[in-house]
Amino acid sequence: MKKFSNTYIFLYITALVTVIAVVLTLVSTGLKPRRDRNKEAEKCQQILRAAGHDIDRSKAVDAFSNLAVPLTDDGRQYQIVCADGTKGIAIRLDGKGLWGPIWGYAVLSEDGKTVKGVCFDHKSETPGLGAKITDEAFMKSFEGKKLYDKDGNYVSVRVLKPGTSAEVAEENRVDAISGATITSRGVDQMMKEELVLEINHF
Amino acid sequence: MKKYLGPLSKENPILVQTLGVCSALAVTAQLKPAVVMALSVTVVCACSNLIISLIRNTIPPRIRIIVQLLVVSFFVIVVDQVLQATLYDVSKLLSVFVGLIITNCIIMGRLEAFALSHKPLPSLMDGVMNGLGYGLVLVVVAFFRELFGSGTLWNHQVVPDSWYAAGYLNNGLMILPPMALILVGCLIWTQNAISN
Repeated sequence: MKKFSNTYIFLYITALVTVIAVVLTLVSTGLKPRRDRNKEAEKCQQILRAAGHDIDRSKAVDAFSNLAVPLTDDGRQYQIVCADGTKGIAIRLDGKGLWGPIWGYAVLSEDGKTVKGVCFDHKSETPGLGAKITDEAFMKSFEGKKLYDKDGNYVSVRVLKPGTSAEVAEENRVDAISGATITSRGVDQMMKEELVLEINHF
Repeated sequence: MKKYLGPLSKENPILVQTLGVCSALAVTAQLKPAVVMALSVTVVCACSNLIISLIRNTIPPRIRIIVQLLVVSFFVIVVDQVLQATLYDVSKLLSVFVGLIITNCIIMGRLEAFALSHKPLPSLMDGVMNGLGYGLVLVVVAFFRELFGSGTLWNHQVVPDSWYAAGYLNNGLMILPPMALILVGCLIWTQNAISN
C-alpha cells in the first residue's frame, strides 16, 4: 500500500472540504430564488385553499394578490375573498407535530366565530399517519365548525378521538386521525392557542 | 453485464446483505415516497461511487471514511436542493428522509467494497444496480403496505367503496413500522428460498 505523509493528508482533506464547500454554496445560492419562489407560491396556494379556492400553484401568487389584503405587516393575517363570495379572515397557525413543526392557515368568517376552511402542512410527520393532516378529508372536516360553544365560551375546534369527551359538542370538534395521536394533539393545540391569540385582536 | 445484476436478487443490499433496512421501514407506508426515495438513493449511490472511484488512488487510507462521507453528504445535499428547487412537492413528501440518505449503509458499503478498488465505469454501474436493488424492495414493500393499509395505490383509491360498505377494513398495522419489518422478513425468506 502507498504511504501518505501527514502533510499530504492535511492538505488533501483541506482541499477537498474547500472544493465541496464552494460548490455547495454556489448550488445553494444559485437555486435560492427558485426555492423562495416555490415557498411563496405555496403559501399563497395554502391560504387560497383554506378560503375554498382550488388554484394551481403556478397561478397562486397572482390570484392571491387579487383576492387578499394584508391586515398585519408580519404576513400572519389577511382579509380574503372566499370561494363563495363572502369575505373572511385568514390567520396563520403554527404548532408542533410528532417530528417537527406543523403549520397552516385558518379562514374564519368575518365575525371570527366560524371556521370557513383550513389548510395544514407539516415538515416531517410520518407518511400515512401524521402526514394525513394534509388530506383533503381531514381539512374538509373543519369547515363550518364553531369556535365558541352555546354559552359563548371560547373552545376552539377540538381534534378528538371519535367517541371520547362527549361534553364537547359536535359543532366544536372534528375526528382525530387514528394512529397519529401526537400529531392530532398538535393540531388541537395549534387551533386552540393560535386562534385565541388572534381573536383577541378583534 | 450479468455480474452487475446481482444486487437485484442474489446480492440484494436489503434482502441478502441486510443493509439500509431502517429507511426501508420508514419510507414505505406509501408508494410515491418509496419510488422517489429509491431514485434519490440510486443517484447518490451512482454519483458517489463514480467520484470515489475516480479519486481512489489519491485517497489516504487512514481518512478514507471521512472522504467517503464528505462525497456522499455533498451529493445528498445537492439532490435535496435540486428537489426543493424543481420538484417541490416531491421534496416535501420526502422531507427528512433525503437527508438521512447520508446514513444509508448501502452507499458507504458500496464505496468501501467496490468503488475503492474498481475503475470508474464498473463503479458507476455497481452504484446504479445497488440503488435499483434497494429500490425494488422498497417498491414491493410499499405496494403491499399502501394497498392493504390505506386501500390506495399512488394515492388513488383501488379498494372499491362497495367493499368498505360490506365491512372491509384497512389494516392499520400495515402502515406502522413493525409490519414493514415483517414484510421485509417475508421477502428475505423468499429470497433465501430462491437463492438455495
